[in-house]
Amino acid sequence: MTSSIDGALVERLAARLRDAEAGRIPCPPIRDEIPPGDVATAYAIQQVNAEHGIRAGRRVVGRKIGLTSRSVQKQLGVDQPDYGVLFADMVVDDGEPIAATRVLQPKAEAEVALVLERDLTVEQPTVVDVIRAVAFALPAIEVVGSRIANWDIRLVDTIADNASSGLIVLGGPPRILDGLDLRLCGMTLECRGEPVSVGAGAACLGSPLVAAAWLARKMVEVGTPLRAGDVVMTGALGPMVPVAPGDVLEARISGLGSVRAVFGREGA
Amino acid sequence: MTDIAGYARIVDEAAARATAIPQLTREGDFTLEDAYAIQRASVARRVERGERVVGLKMGFTSRSKAAQMGVFDLIHGRLTDAMVIEDGGIVDLARYVHPRVEPELAVRLARPLKGRVGIAEAWAAVEAVAPALEIIDSRYEAFKFSLVDVVADNSSSSGFVVGAWQTPPADPSNLGIVMTFDGLPVQVGSTAAVLGNPVRALAAAARMLADAGEGLEAGSIVLTGAATPAEALRPGVSVRAEMEALGMVGFTVAPRG
Repeated sequence: MTSSIDGALVERLAARLRDAEAGRIPCPPIRDEIPPGDVATAYAIQQVNAEHGIRAGRRVVGRKIGLTSRSVQKQLGVDQPDYGVLFADMVVDDGEPIAATRVLQPKAEAEVALVLERDLTVEQPTVVDVIRAVAFALPAIEVVGSRIANWDIRLVDTIADNASSGLIVLGGPPRILDGLDLRLCGMTLECRGEPVSVGAGAACLGSPLVAAAWLARKMVEVGTPLRAGDVVMTGALGPMVPVAPGDVLEARISGLGSVRAVFGREGA
Repeated sequence: MTDIAGYARIVDEAAARATAIPQLTREGDFTLEDAYAIQRASVARRVERGERVVGLKMGFTSRSKAAQMGVFDLIHGRLTDAMVIEDGGIVDLARYVHPRVEPELAVRLARPLKGRVGIAEAWAAVEAVAPALEIIDSRYEAFKFSLVDVVADNSSSSGFVVGAWQTPPADPSNLGIVMTFDGLPVQVGSTAAVLGNPVRALAAAARMLADAGEGLEAGSIVLTGAATPAEALRPGVSVRAEMEALGMVGFTVAPRG
């Protein structure tokens, strides 16, 4: 490492993001206090808040991959994805009502969730290692959120903010990978029957399996490999859409089934 | 009175000579009925020259397409045998004004489809489906037009490539599609972008023709509408579309002469 990380700064910016979440008031971007390319410090901030959560009793259930679409990467001027941590309290069942205020500045996207049955501790894991490690795939809706006001994010902002994660809604039925075409599977996300986002597996880094292999390698590199039982949210299959109170979203992923995110009305 | 025959000659000659023309409506607006009459008359000129009508294309079937063009009604145009490009064939840009390409689901009818049909009836009339690429080419300057302009111009029909015909899947409503230029994805989407289900576009085709006292014949090919936004063609580019469960279709644009 050529640059050292300023521990006090990391703690202060991590607290800023925690306070935004706790107080339900979005905060200014953190890039005003760290260099725009300082990914190491951004992940250090994410890590501080993950450890904070674990100390408070939150259970880690997996990882999410973000910035997997070419258009979003172009928008943020980056050429690779990022990742965040998933906790048990972020997992919502298919159709379970979600309070409108639960996620700050919510948006939604449809994704393929992979659930592992083996650890991915091997050095430099490949897509083959990932395929061998996957127990089953599920259709999923990720409700992303941002602690940063007005989603005014650059790379370091979203990384520090746990990759803008919010909730994940998991549908079914579970499918084994055998015979599934995760690259060409069509995706449609409807809001009350109106299509709001359409895409396919290839929109996620070429294939959700390619994205998962990137994450597996990254997690081995940073010393926290993916483990049996982990849920991997692989990344959006189409454009992200804003969510309003009372919205009922239904995603269909060809070959995988469907999943619903049901948002409560304001105050309900 | 709109000069149907005169306008038909203008759009037909523009297509035949691959030259851009000003919008017809610059001379004054006309009705959608007139626009389809101009379209029919221009296609009749093609038929007189020996071309054969082989089917229909649907246009403005997706929200993204409607937004791209600023037009919000379903439209249709006629396909002739002269517009057919062989799968894997070479396309010469000199034949077009400013061509764009978009991936679509193509269907072929086992029996006639006429009148006000529903989705189930429309799908039951389909004998085969295939991945397809449509080359659209407005004859209007800068690809700019009103609804009646584009309809009069045969809804920008100009060329199409159909992959291998195969048995229709049980549900064609959400087939993933990747379109690549020289192997790199340029558009990713799903047939769901076509009215939520491309069979709706087929049923709409039968209904729209019925309004004009026509119908789709057995053996007709229908291009159900773009599953992604269109991409401009450039010399030398190799274009492929791959559709979930249906395989690949493609062509190559000839390098600049």
